[in-house]
Amino acid sequence: MPTNTYVDHAPGYVDNEGPKIVTSRFGYEDSYTLERSLATGGYEGLRTALTKAPADVAAEVKDAVLLGRGGAGFPAGIKWGFMPPVWPRYLVVNGDESEPGTYKDRLLMERDPHQLIEGCIIACYALGLNTCFLYVRGEMADAQERIGTALNEAYEAGLVGKNIMGTDVSIDVVLHWGAGAYIVGEETALIESLEGNRGMPRLKPPFFPAAKGLYHKPTIVNNVETLANLPWILSNGAQAYKEHGSEASPGTRMLAISGHVNRPGVYEVPQGVVSFRELFYGDNYCQGIKDGNELKAFIPGGASAPWFFDDQLDVLLEAKDAGAAGSMLGSGAVVVMDETTDAVKACLRVVRFFARESCGKCTPCREGTSWEEKVLQRILDGYGREEDIDLLLDIGKNISPGEYPVAAFGKANLEAVPFPPKQTTICPLGPSSVAPITSAIRRFRHEFEAKIAAGPQNDGHSQAPEASTV
Amino acid sequence: MGYLRGFAVTAKKIFEGVTTKQYEGGKGGKTDQKAPKPERLHGRHVLNKYEDGMEKCIGCELCAGVCPANCIYVRGAENPPSDPKSPGERFGYVYEINYLRCIHCDMCVEACPTEAITETKLFEFSFSNRSDAIYTKDELLVDDDGRPQQLPWEDWRDGEDQHTSGWMRATAPSGKASAQGTVAWSGELGYGVRAPEAAQNVRTPIDAAIEAVAVDTAKAEEKG
Amino acid sequence: MTTAEPTEAVTGVPFTLNGTELVAEEGELLIDACDRNGVHIPRFCYHNRMKPVGMCRMCLVEVDTGRGKALQPSCMLPVTPEMKVETESEATKKAQDGVLELLLANHPLDCPVCDKGGECPLQDNAYAFGPGETRFVEEKRHFKKPIPISDLVKLDRERCILCDRCTRFASDVAGDPLIHFIDRGSQTQVNTFPDHPFSSYFSGNTVQICPVGALTAEPYRFKARPWDLEAVESTATVDSTGARVVLQSSQNEIVRVLGVDSDAVNWSWLSDKERFSYEATAKGDRIEQPLVKNEETGMLEATRWNNAAKKVGAALRVEPDRIAAVGGARMPLEGQYAWAKLLKGVVGTDHVDAQLDDGLPGPLVLGLPRATINDACKPGGVVVTIGADLKEELPTLFLRLRHAVVEDGVKLIELTSTATHLSDFATVRFDVTPGSVGQFATAIAKQAGADLDFDVADESGLVEAQADKVAAAAALLDGSVPVTIIVGRGNLAESPRFTSDAVGIFRRLNDDFQFMPALRRGNINGALEMGLVPGFTPGGVQRESAQLDTWPDVPDFDGMDTKEIFRAAAEGRIDTLLLLAANPLQDFLDEDLVRRALANVKTVIAVDGISTETTDLADVVLPAALFGEVDGTFVNLEGRLSPLRAKVTPPSQARPDWMIPAELAIVLGVELGFTTIDELHSELSEVLPSFADIDWDTLGSSDDGPVLKLNRSWNIEFGKPAAAPPATSAFRLVATRKLWDQGTMVQESPSLASLPSEAAIHLNPDDIERHGFVGDSVTVRIGDQTHTIPLTSDVRVNPTTASIPVCLPGFDARTLITGRSTTAVEIRPNGTT
Repeated sequence: MPTNTYVDHAPGYVDNEGPKIVTSRFGYEDSYTLERSLATGGYEGLRTALTKAPADVAAEVKDAVLLGRGGAGFPAGIKWGFMPPVWPRYLVVNGDESEPGTYKDRLLMERDPHQLIEGCIIACYALGLNTCFLYVRGEMADAQERIGTALNEAYEAGLVGKNIMGTDVSIDVVLHWGAGAYIVGEETALIESLEGNRGMPRLKPPFFPAAKGLYHKPTIVNNVETLANLPWILSNGAQAYKEHGSEASPGTRMLAISGHVNRPGVYEVPQGVVSFRELFYGDNYCQGIKDGNELKAFIPGGASAPWFFDDQLDVLLEAKDAGAAGSMLGSGAVVVMDETTDAVKACLRVVRFFARESCGKCTPCREGTSWEEKVLQRILDGYGREEDIDLLLDIGKNISPGEYPVAAFGKANLEAVPFPPKQTTICPLGPSSVAPITSAIRRFRHEFEAKIAAGPQNDGHSQAPEASTV
Repeated sequence: MGYLRGFAVTAKKIFEGVTTKQYEGGKGGKTDQKAPKPERLHGRHVLNKYEDGMEKCIGCELCAGVCPANCIYVRGAENPPSDPKSPGERFGYVYEINYLRCIHCDMCVEACPTEAITETKLFEFSFSNRSDAIYTKDELLVDDDGRPQQLPWEDWRDGEDQHTSGWMRATAPSGKASAQGTVAWSGELGYGVRAPEAAQNVRTPIDAAIEAVAVDTAKAEEKG
Repeated sequence: MTTAEPTEAVTGVPFTLNGTELVAEEGELLIDACDRNGVHIPRFCYHNRMKPVGMCRMCLVEVDTGRGKALQPSCMLPVTPEMKVETESEATKKAQDGVLELLLANHPLDCPVCDKGGECPLQDNAYAFGPGETRFVEEKRHFKKPIPISDLVKLDRERCILCDRCTRFASDVAGDPLIHFIDRGSQTQVNTFPDHPFSSYFSGNTVQICPVGALTAEPYRFKARPWDLEAVESTATVDSTGARVVLQSSQNEIVRVLGVDSDAVNWSWLSDKERFSYEATAKGDRIEQPLVKNEETGMLEATRWNNAAKKVGAALRVEPDRIAAVGGARMPLEGQYAWAKLLKGVVGTDHVDAQLDDGLPGPLVLGLPRATINDACKPGGVVVTIGADLKEELPTLFLRLRHAVVEDGVKLIELTSTATHLSDFATVRFDVTPGSVGQFATAIAKQAGADLDFDVADESGLVEAQADKVAAAAALLDGSVPVTIIVGRGNLAESPRFTSDAVGIFRRLNDDFQFMPALRRGNINGALEMGLVPGFTPGGVQRESAQLDTWPDVPDFDGMDTKEIFRAAAEGRIDTLLLLAANPLQDFLDEDLVRRALANVKTVIAVDGISTETTDLADVVLPAALFGEVDGTFVNLEGRLSPLRAKVTPPSQARPDWMIPAELAIVLGVELGFTTIDELHSELSEVLPSFADIDWDTLGSSDDGPVLKLNRSWNIEFGKPAAAPPATSAFRLVATRKLWDQGTMVQESPSLASLPSEAAIHLNPDDIERHGFVGDSVTVRIGDQTHTIPLTSDVRVNPTTASIPVCLPGFDARTLITGRSTTAVEIRPNGTT
């Protein structure tokens, strides 16, 4: 019998108790239609926004302390303020969600595309620009179709395009499908890709996209979820928004929880008030670890994030807390590993992803990630050497110099190293590959050593590596 | 009468014998044999081959570059893909050593990255014209058994052709480490097929692993 | 620690480098500031003539800008005030060590095989900054060993360290984005698009800038090792740009030419013709001995120099009026002076012309105020191009101009008959029908306020149709910004008169406009300067006013130009014709006239280094030494003097050009006055004021070479330009030049000989559609002749214009050129007449 692993591990949206800011329409079968959207308060935020001056809209967003949901968690309102008064200027929506474990933006685009389009228009209006590029990941066929259909509906209804809602505001939204590259989730690589070039990050400094981005014009790159929050903020006001979540991190955020929990899925969770313990074991959320097993480790914010362990269960879902504990909330993908997980194998899985997706621009990332992968594969196959563990750590130091962020390990009296890591590369992809290695080796060094000591196992998949030759 | 002292020197030396060494038993001797040569004697060079007939020389000119006497002339050329002379892209298509200049310092041997050029204990350079003194590639190259070519003026005695340090690495010309353990030339002196040699690089667990796999395969083959 | 004295940076940015207080220039990159102060930071991707990308991460240094120390790529970081930089700290060293170990992880260690071994930045940096050992025990990455990415360049992807230099050069500098990165991660590789080879005129530069042995040039592959190369700096002579080069030889054979980073000229770039045509000297069909025609057999036979010289001497003892000489642009300045002195000063003929009727009038070129390349490319200026596509004729100048226009915002106005490779970047581009350039110049000048007392009738309405462009151009030429006019011969089927008319109009518009003659032949500017042009003596002095104390004589009549010389020769009015490294059978536009001329001259004397179809017909052939075999001097299109240096010995009895006339003079019973090149130099400095201050010994060795101060005491009168001929139903013919052609230097270089493409007539796609041309050829009628010529659709060609390159294999386009002021051809679909 074929097992549908997709359904097994990523069942999609879980309708739990709690505030519904961006998932309010997810319960409807036809949530993606304009009809449903309009029937449930869609485009009301835009209508409100259009009655205000653009600066007031921007001030409202700034007031709401809307944190970016793409990974870095930088307040959108402040980011908007970095734009120099230069026209033309662009808004680019980063819908290239490809962090392993993350699938919240896909749901937002598939289930409520109009909310996103409305958010885009509000942002464009607030920023005083009239072209918005919506970059959707190449593999997301459903999302592409729904966004495309929704945009056509919105154009027809006069909600996008010339003279929106009868005002003299005209804003165009340009759709762009990616060609399938993880690195394009990085904002400068996304801009390169939009320009028609190979998706490779640009070095910043000297120029951040807000100053010189798309076509060397000021550009704001915002995440899908960030913009999806705008309609609610404009409809209900910044004050109402701040009533949810914590003071530093108001509102909710979408968390995609996968792995060994009883009820995986995407949850809308108030920021900064729920701990990981509640998230994994709470009845409102994941309802415990699968099969009653012990928790071994979890990745709190997508594959790039250093791992957390049982020591960190009480960390709150807040960027600052997670950062101090040695990791990040990143893209809101939580991957849970129970005691049956092989730490080396898990580590290899993540590293292999980065090795495959490295764009090839910076030497340390291009060569380092694939080297890490090869060494890990060798250890896993039983051909590891004792010095390989330190070798792995040192390759990591060549990609990310200095102490790499890592969670505290109470029993061994090891302190946490706070986020973020330093890097010898342009973008954080390379350093991300170091995260699983430092985390796993600090906590599970014995597993690596055991694999090395045991030598090759006759498990049918071990392969003797070919040695280096001239 | 001081000149008598001069005669005295001569008279004394007359009975000391000559310092010129003849082949043992040479003129007036009983057997026609050469004197044993010192172990580290630097004689004339040979250009070595791999066991499969590939030339080891890749025409890199490092020997020519390092030669303090400027006596080596090498030109590289692109290996014809259909009929390669050496492993890799490049081979030495001209290789000449001028023995009027060579000081046998062995620096070319040290510089050679492929151990293509080595020195033998052959030492007879009794050519009668200057162009004979320039040994060409054809003359320097060993034959398919690794045996140096005997030039007309070389007086080889039994076993002397073994004095040609034609040793090689334990890897095949293709450079595959997995060829370790295959039969190859080895040893400091002599030519021909010898017992396999262990890897030259430091042994690592990978080496052990590869051997283990080789042993496993061998066992499996025995069984099956 | 090196803490060299900072070179002067008066106003600047103070920063600290390894504890030393220094000053950087405003906006200077950290890596440059360190270089200037004697601190070398290792690098691979950074190249001072290209935009930085920060890819290789080799130049990471520890920088503290007040927010704590961090590793930053010094090639991307402009120096900011109070920046503290550590290039030798532990963190920096660890980063350098790490990057090198990672670069070497997948880099094959086939250095002994690799052509770069010995001059490889990766080797050097690995020794200086890298780890001694590798910890990489895995199988290395494998690709197919070298793959040809063009006819000249091979790519070994295993060796590539992905520094982006070649790809950046191709797209940013050359404008030929034909190589790209493909794939991802450790499988990332540089490659071409399928079926689109890297066929760029500049592909050789990628080989020169490759920091490893990934890119190798076919002509140099495995030819030599860096440590057995001997080198000398010289100047490329294949065109008049005068790019500075290094000649490298091994075993008395030139094996490689590299570009030198001359700030004034070529910025280290070379065209492939400049880079690879050295092959012709070593591998070409060289003339090694004097040859004299055997009267009985009619065959050329080798002889001794004095026999040949006697024969030439006898031929020169006729009336000066019956002696003529053509050519001389290939020679060094010294040879040109010696020939000029022999022909004009001793023999007394003025029938001397270095141009083969394919350039611009000598008086025009000599009388124009010259701009340097840096003047033309200075940001903020305006450049007007009249005539040719520089990419085809002066490719290295094209690169400089392209950079100026694309990167530095220099405004470009194009007055060319077909679109060029710069047209996409031109601010104003006119569709100039052959014969109408003077008309456009008049319209522009009038609008820009020139005081012209005439009008040129715009019968065809051509100028009227582009009135807005005229206004835009006039606004740029209002005199508020420096203007350089690059003038060349873009159309061989059009009289050069139209071009000189246009030049005259621009001269009258503004005295401050500067000019640059875009003549393509090597040392043509030297030849004109040395008087190898009718009516002039060396120094651009008109014959009547010549004051040359060291000369026995000057001609007492005004000479003919090349076209007239051949006509006179064909009519039997010339007894002795000297061909100074000229191949008119290939280069002159009327081949038939040349054949008749050669047949009707009593003695044809060819002085050349390479055997050509013309030398085969000569009565006496004197072997000359070529590029790389003689010392000498080159004058480029700016009037800049740069050295030509000998690196190898000439074959057999070939002699330096200047020695040949000196020897012939002795046969004629006269001493030319110099027996060494130093004496010749002294004479030049003595008799020519513009050469008075030249230090011949150090010429161009420490700087870019002196630019001659050409103060002409005479001016050319320019009148009303000729009107363009009225439009007809026929196509106006534009005969152009291609870089790769049937010329001697290309054809005698084995690697280049196959590069020229077949001749084809280029038409605008609209014309092709309108006239219903189908298939891949058309019938072209001119006069009573019809030709079937391959057809190419080309958007660069203006409507109602037909463009065809001359001197290509296949159809000989010269047969279409009538010699009228413009040429019209009738084109019909193939098969009709």
